[in-house]
Amino acid sequence: MPKTYEEINERIRRKEVVVVTAEEMTEIVREKGAARAAEQIDVVTTGTFAPMCSSGALLNIGHTTPKMKIQKAWFNDVLAYCGVAAIDLYLGATELPEDDPCNKVFPGRFSYGGGHVIEELVRGKDVRLRAVAHGTDCYPRKTLETTINIRNINDAWLLNPRNCYQNYNVAVNTSTKRPLYTYMGTLLPELGNANYCSAGQLSPLLNDPWYRTIGIGTRIFLGGAPGHVFHHGTQHNPDVERTEGGVPRGGAGTVAVIGNLKQMSADFLRAVSITGYGVSLAVGVGIPIPILDEEMAKFTAVEDSEIFAPVVDYADDYPQQKGSPLCYVSYAELRSGAINVNGKKVKTASLSSYTKAREIAETLKGWIATGEFLLSRPVEPLPGGGAEQSNT
Amino acid sequence: MIQKSAIFDFPKSLVNRPIISELIKDCDIEVNILQARITPREDGHMFAILRGPEADVGMALDYLAGIGVRTTLPAKNLILDEDRCVHCGACVGQCLPSAFFVDPETQRVVFDSDKCIACGLCIPACSYRAIESITEHLRKKGEL
Repeated sequence: MPKTYEEINERIRRKEVVVVTAEEMTEIVREKGAARAAEQIDVVTTGTFAPMCSSGALLNIGHTTPKMKIQKAWFNDVLAYCGVAAIDLYLGATELPEDDPCNKVFPGRFSYGGGHVIEELVRGKDVRLRAVAHGTDCYPRKTLETTINIRNINDAWLLNPRNCYQNYNVAVNTSTKRPLYTYMGTLLPELGNANYCSAGQLSPLLNDPWYRTIGIGTRIFLGGAPGHVFHHGTQHNPDVERTEGGVPRGGAGTVAVIGNLKQMSADFLRAVSITGYGVSLAVGVGIPIPILDEEMAKFTAVEDSEIFAPVVDYADDYPQQKGSPLCYVSYAELRSGAINVNGKKVKTASLSSYTKAREIAETLKGWIATGEFLLSRPVEPLPGGGAEQSNT
Repeated sequence: MIQKSAIFDFPKSLVNRPIISELIKDCDIEVNILQARITPREDGHMFAILRGPEADVGMALDYLAGIGVRTTLPAKNLILDEDRCVHCGACVGQCLPSAFFVDPETQRVVFDSDKCIACGLCIPACSYRAIESITEHLRKKGEL
């Protein structure tokens, strides 16, 4: 018998819900089969923690006296975008200080940027704000130098246009010359290492490959606080080649997410400095998946050996948008520590923290089990998904 | 058999003496020299791996200490910030001797200091800046 969101939420309210992590669900389905698992399990929690570019903070700093229509602003010397409204400022995770030496001495260190300001805000540290404006009759102030704290500004949202990539490339370097410094980490020459970045069997969108339950309005764990999916993410592409089980064999779906930065924690929101590349923000996301029926039980039982990722050469193919993957490997192989590429044994490393992904899935499980966190039915499916919403 | 990687600082007075030959002959151990240089101040620095029965490696280290060679075991050359480490594993792919590895059970990153050869490749590979060289650490503190 299919379940409805309402029934599951009622069980959460009564603290009778049966909630397990995606790792536990794999075991349960293996033991009992999908049909019985679907009857017994109400919710499966997922998690992922990795550097996620396309993240940022929307800050409304509150009005000064006299008022000001800010045209340019810097938080700890990191430029924020101000062309939204008088005091709505968007601080992007990958923004660098204007005097950063970048890659002038290669590879650059990128020790500070937007992601670091966001982490400091979340940690409750004071942040310097400098702003300039042309001045108007209604907003006469022209300059501002002050310190702000997340506690005393109007609004602070984490507003990320693209997170949670459903699967991703495995990055390698076939060049013979030198290491490559990429957003996928340092890639040693002659296939010296292979870096991957997905929580695999714990990753949210890999547990709902056709976006049946994850859609616009889905309530999620974001950076240690409740948040929401507010749209499909930029670059969302459901049309990627898939396995028989429906799992995309490369980067596919994405979600745009939003949440209250004031409630978040630096345990799940961390600045990263990527040598030779730039700065970004590691974001922790967890999405609960309602086990509406047997199909959802099957989807959430997915395991690393059934998820394949393309091995892509970042020496030339990736930057020049040419060539095709060198091969495909499963996350089980990736997690074993080495893969085989072009006949060579290549050491693997993850940029996504499986430890943190587990912690997120466990935390979300706790919120649901104690009745604190209800599920929300999407108000609109993501493109390419949500075919089966009829049973509620 | 044990294996120890170590950094040796030779005072100026010892730079002309074939100390490694003495070690191999007298202590009967294997020495793999990874780096060696003489500085403009004419003192010497060597980075090497000593391999042999525990007693013999111990004797070798005692011998070096006795003649005035300063030994630093490389674990002390890296400072790991447990609070900043998120256990992703980016360091693991850079670490040739597998001093950094992922525990298959817990999926946490573990550091085995005995295997570290202090190449320093892990330092820039860590995006969370959880690994720091002692030199950098001291420089930041203004102690160097």
